[in-house]
Amino acid sequence: MACGCSTAWWPTITKADAFLPVSVRFATETEHFSARAGVGMQDGFDGLGQTIALDPAQGDEEMGARAWAKLAEPSRGLEIDAREWPDMAAASIAAGVALRAWRMPKAAPPPRKPQLLVLCRDPDAANRHWPRLAAAVAGNLFARWLVAEPANRLTPATFVDRLRSLSEHGLAVSVLGPEELERRGYGAISAVGRAAPTGPYLVTLEWKRAGAPLAFVGKGLCFDNGGISIKPAAGMEAMRADMAGAAACAGAMLSLALRDAEGAAVAVLGVAENAIGADAYRPGDVLKTASGRTVEIIDTDAEGRLVLADALHHAITHHAPRAVIDIATLTGSIVTALGHHRAGLFGNDEALRDRLMAGAMAVREPLWPMPIGEAHRRDIDSDIADLKQCAPAGKLLADACHAAAFLREFVGSTPWAHLDIAGVETAEEDTALAAKGVPTGFGVRLFDGLV
Amino acid sequence: MLDISFVKPALPKAGAIVALLPEGAEPAGLLKALDEASGGNVARALDAAGFKGRKGQSATIWAPVPGVTKLLAIGLGALDKLTPEQAEAAGGNAWPAISGEAAALLATDALEAPVAVRAAMGALLRSYRFDKYRTTEKPEDKPKLAKLSVAVANATAAKNAFAPFRAVAEGVFLTRDLVSEPPNVLNPVEMAERCKVLEKLGVTVQILGPKEMKKLGMGALLGVAQGSAVEARLVAMRWKGVTPKKGDKPICFIGKGVTFDTGGISIKPAGGMEDMKWDMGGAGTVIGLMAALAGRKAKADVVGLVGLVENMPSGTAQRPGDVVTSASGQTIEVINTDAEGRLVLADVIHYAITQFDPKWMVDLATLTGAIIIALGHEHAGLFSNDDELAAQLLEAGKTTGEACWRMPLGDAYDKQLKSDIADMKNVGGRPGGSITAAQFIQRFVQGRPWAHLDIAGTAWAGKDTATTPKGATAYGVRLLDRLVADHYEG
Repeated sequence: MACGCSTAWWPTITKADAFLPVSVRFATETEHFSARAGVGMQDGFDGLGQTIALDPAQGDEEMGARAWAKLAEPSRGLEIDAREWPDMAAASIAAGVALRAWRMPKAAPPPRKPQLLVLCRDPDAANRHWPRLAAAVAGNLFARWLVAEPANRLTPATFVDRLRSLSEHGLAVSVLGPEELERRGYGAISAVGRAAPTGPYLVTLEWKRAGAPLAFVGKGLCFDNGGISIKPAAGMEAMRADMAGAAACAGAMLSLALRDAEGAAVAVLGVAENAIGADAYRPGDVLKTASGRTVEIIDTDAEGRLVLADALHHAITHHAPRAVIDIATLTGSIVTALGHHRAGLFGNDEALRDRLMAGAMAVREPLWPMPIGEAHRRDIDSDIADLKQCAPAGKLLADACHAAAFLREFVGSTPWAHLDIAGVETAEEDTALAAKGVPTGFGVRLFDGLV
Repeated sequence: MLDISFVKPALPKAGAIVALLPEGAEPAGLLKALDEASGGNVARALDAAGFKGRKGQSATIWAPVPGVTKLLAIGLGALDKLTPEQAEAAGGNAWPAISGEAAALLATDALEAPVAVRAAMGALLRSYRFDKYRTTEKPEDKPKLAKLSVAVANATAAKNAFAPFRAVAEGVFLTRDLVSEPPNVLNPVEMAERCKVLEKLGVTVQILGPKEMKKLGMGALLGVAQGSAVEARLVAMRWKGVTPKKGDKPICFIGKGVTFDTGGISIKPAGGMEDMKWDMGGAGTVIGLMAALAGRKAKADVVGLVGLVENMPSGTAQRPGDVVTSASGQTIEVINTDAEGRLVLADVIHYAITQFDPKWMVDLATLTGAIIIALGHEHAGLFSNDDELAAQLLEAGKTTGEACWRMPLGDAYDKQLKSDIADMKNVGGRPGGSITAAQFIQRFVQGRPWAHLDIAGTAWAGKDTATTPKGATAYGVRLLDRLVADHYEG
């Protein structure tokens, strides 16, 4: 499977390793790489080459990631001495390196993957921990690769092609196309996607195992120019990443397949492009969603929640999930609220919220709980339809809360959580696990851990 | 202020009756007496109106018996599910229907005294009106009701229980008056003068002018004030409701008091700028809170501090790019002169720490538009470095209906304040705008237990709610009074 990475020249340990930008090995003895990292070393050079200090206070993944980040241009690769740590830490260090070593696909990848040699006391034990971590990293990088793709390359149609190819890893993939969506009365996603040359599609990825699945629902707007309520030009290029929620779901499903997870899961992705055209939907339009509820359109740039409304309905009615979690680059409001360091977490179920908060801490994809108040719901009462899609334009609107109040109308009594990841889908500055400007794959490892 | 008296249930000879009725109950007490006096008409009329006592349901019956102008029946829902806040809302919702009456009786005989008291509180809070500048309003358009009788089974118990509520309502009304006053009337000097009314309640009031503040090195606060023709003031109010034992420390409430905020040189757009008269809402709340605590003789040692300035553009105004030195010695690069509230708070908080050595501090400020974009108008943003204090505030928010929502702090946000020339910038950019404002303030609390309430979304109501007429809400007075009552008295 193509993912922007070159073919390994070492035999890979697991299927997941094919997705990683480094070839990972665990061993007991040094091979005297010219770039080495370890506790007690200093940032600098010695007789063999470059040395990098590790700071155990940073945690395993970050240690690995920072060691990699400090290497300007690794020629052969990096050797990390983790013999002082448990074997699990050695695996985590490798995961951190793999995450940080991923690059935007702007140039041809190097002919050979750089090597990562992690020295540990018991390589067999590290190798046993590794497949699970590698699968989560692979899913994350798959999501990054999708997010990084520009919108002329990743159209709704090509996005769906790439999702279809996930079937080779054991996921069941099914696709509802534009005609089918129209025919079935999926009026919200149909309206959003109809002005674009391709799409819309509702894509379902299933990892079939016994029991009711956990459902993930992702917003997959391959590009969002705002539609008739067109966005200002400045910064519009970032809207290629408006499918990061769907990419995160797809990445998480890939992780589950690569590690042959025991739990059942399903992902429903609303894939569309919000474009301008003679046939575009308008402010003032009233749409009938798949659930039968009618929605008055206020702002065609608040399209994500419409796509999610139909996708949530589909996930709940077709898959009877034990819980549903949607993830979307949904609002600018959440960026004003929480900045680039946390995603907003909304929902109707405290137990699910607590599990997500705990899981998010573990994988450094931090969340923060946000409210859905009675006034937020009242603000989207409509005179003509069951709901307004958002509050009428004005300054200082709590749009993230309004969006969550809107989505809640489509989940019934199913335990539900909503992650607004606008602001965290791309690293705004150099972080431990992603360099500035690089997609973060936010949500993949969180979801993988949850299953 | 509306006079509230508690009476034994008995049919009045005149005026309106408001009956707060649980769902599905047979007519009893006052309602039964009224029904009998009407020959069964009242019960028939309520039945015909489909009134069942469901929560939020109401029905009006005009002239049910001779002398009585109307009966307003308000449903409470199931009695065992009724919260004090809902009783308060029911009482508040009754007010518009009776404000034009000469006399009115609130029948709460279905309720226990503590809940009946909350219903009375609701009506009292809703009765507030700021009409001193309406000179041509016709008398018939003004509310007439001066006294509300509340019928309750145990009138004496209710009367005693109501006394502290009345004191709190006085504090709320003081805050609403201050926040409602126009900015040409209520400037920093005038606002400081008005703090002196607290002396009558036993509060010591100390006022600092620019000279004293300059001596204390308050370059941040004075920088904001330097564009205005009116001098800045810092007011310290102390209520010693207990004789402190050795080692006891007071608790401190600190309010932002920008009596008008044009934005300064970084001037705001014209649309809606008139709202900036309530940019002293934090200080207004602290002053009303001190009145509430002193009025009900709270057994606590409390200091209220307000920094009062006007933020104006002028030849002497501070500029974007200026570097000011705060009283703490930390330097601040002023990027945006419209992020002035935090500059004021920085110096007042430092003063609180050095002068009063507080056990903990809570500051209130109409600080950021970002908090409205984050939370809307139902919750104030709560930021704190102390989980216990934060939990107490969240709890008090639930019981008073003045809700707050905890927001995060963290080093990643703090980094957004990094300046190339000074210790910090006064803004951290749009992302996480309320959080970076809180991070800024946190740099001045010296690690002490502290909470910050961003009340920009809750200090002013765009429309009537059950217990608050449109306008100044006095958000925070009841919340913090409750915080003190529940955890820091005795």
